[in-house]
Amino acid sequence: MIIAERKPFEEIKEMVKGYKNILNVGCGGCTSICLAGGQKEVNQLNAELTKENPELNIDSLVIERQCNYDFFVDLDEKAPKYDAILSMACGAGVQFVSERYTSIPVFPALNTVFCGVDRNVGWFEENCRTCGECVLGDTAGICPVTRCAKGIFNGPCGGTRIDGSCEVDKDTPCAWTDIFNRLTEQGRVDKITEVKPPRLWQNQVRRTLIQEDYKARYAE
Amino acid sequence: MSDQETKAVDRAEISKMLEKKAPEMKRILNYCVHCSICAESCFLYMSHDGDPQYMPSYKVINSLGKLYKKNGNVDHEFLEGIKGMVWNNCVLCHRCYCPIGIDIPRMIDFTRSICRSQGVFPKLDEGESWL
Repeated sequence: MIIAERKPFEEIKEMVKGYKNILNVGCGGCTSICLAGGQKEVNQLNAELTKENPELNIDSLVIERQCNYDFFVDLDEKAPKYDAILSMACGAGVQFVSERYTSIPVFPALNTVFCGVDRNVGWFEENCRTCGECVLGDTAGICPVTRCAKGIFNGPCGGTRIDGSCEVDKDTPCAWTDIFNRLTEQGRVDKITEVKPPRLWQNQVRRTLIQEDYKARYAE
Repeated sequence: MSDQETKAVDRAEISKMLEKKAPEMKRILNYCVHCSICAESCFLYMSHDGDPQYMPSYKVINSLGKLYKKNGNVDHEFLEGIKGMVWNNCVLCHRCYCPIGIDIPRMIDFTRSICRSQGVFPKLDEGESWL
């Protein structure tokens, strides 16, 4: 799931400064689940902005997903009535909203932080950098790109401490020590004895994915 | 007691929302022939051993359908009761297939909007599970 957090209030306030009629759009997907951009958070931000500027007209609407136009029916109807839109979706959602209503300024109320997992209520951890070349099968389900401070593909480096922590931060476990230990437990250490070729760094360019079975449909 | 539990239901607002979508709702309520073809296109239905509560048509008829038939004249308890059906039992993946062309996810989406308008939605920060 995509994890996001709300931008500092001052930053949001500055972005919407000068706009008197704003629609704050929440997202019922990932940002609701990570407690950053659901109905409750939309209401909270609107209350704060109204308290700051009682003259402001700010309404709310939560659509199920800002990353899928199938859910834009209600927003299509409301959006043209406003001077500006605040989006409490991830960066992908903000761009999708902006692409849909090009004449209306769309501002992000959140910072999209990472792709991660729920550890507990309100506690999330990054587990994937979406590099596009998953090696988890060979690294015992531990991502070296995300969890190694240096993102080393052929680790470990020389900075592993004797207790198995990382030289960068003693509270951070060395990902490659964890990989080695888990592979040992599984009897698969041979998986990391071969040197992996350099990566293509596919995540440095904008990516689009069309699943194999749908390629013919979008061929044109 | 949480804010959601104490909030009164604005029945007029629900009726207004329902009225706006009346043609779409009439379509699903009148045209659904209970063929259950949608059932097997729902991965939640399949992964719950064919539990009818996960059947897409069941979810719509027993949430939005009831809301429509009652013309929004429902209480907070009713909305809390359908919350699980439209949030926990459906992920809005849009994979459900209806041979008549009823847009089932759109109806679930709309039901969620009605619940939200009355302050009923998953209380994730209170440890409530989504799925």
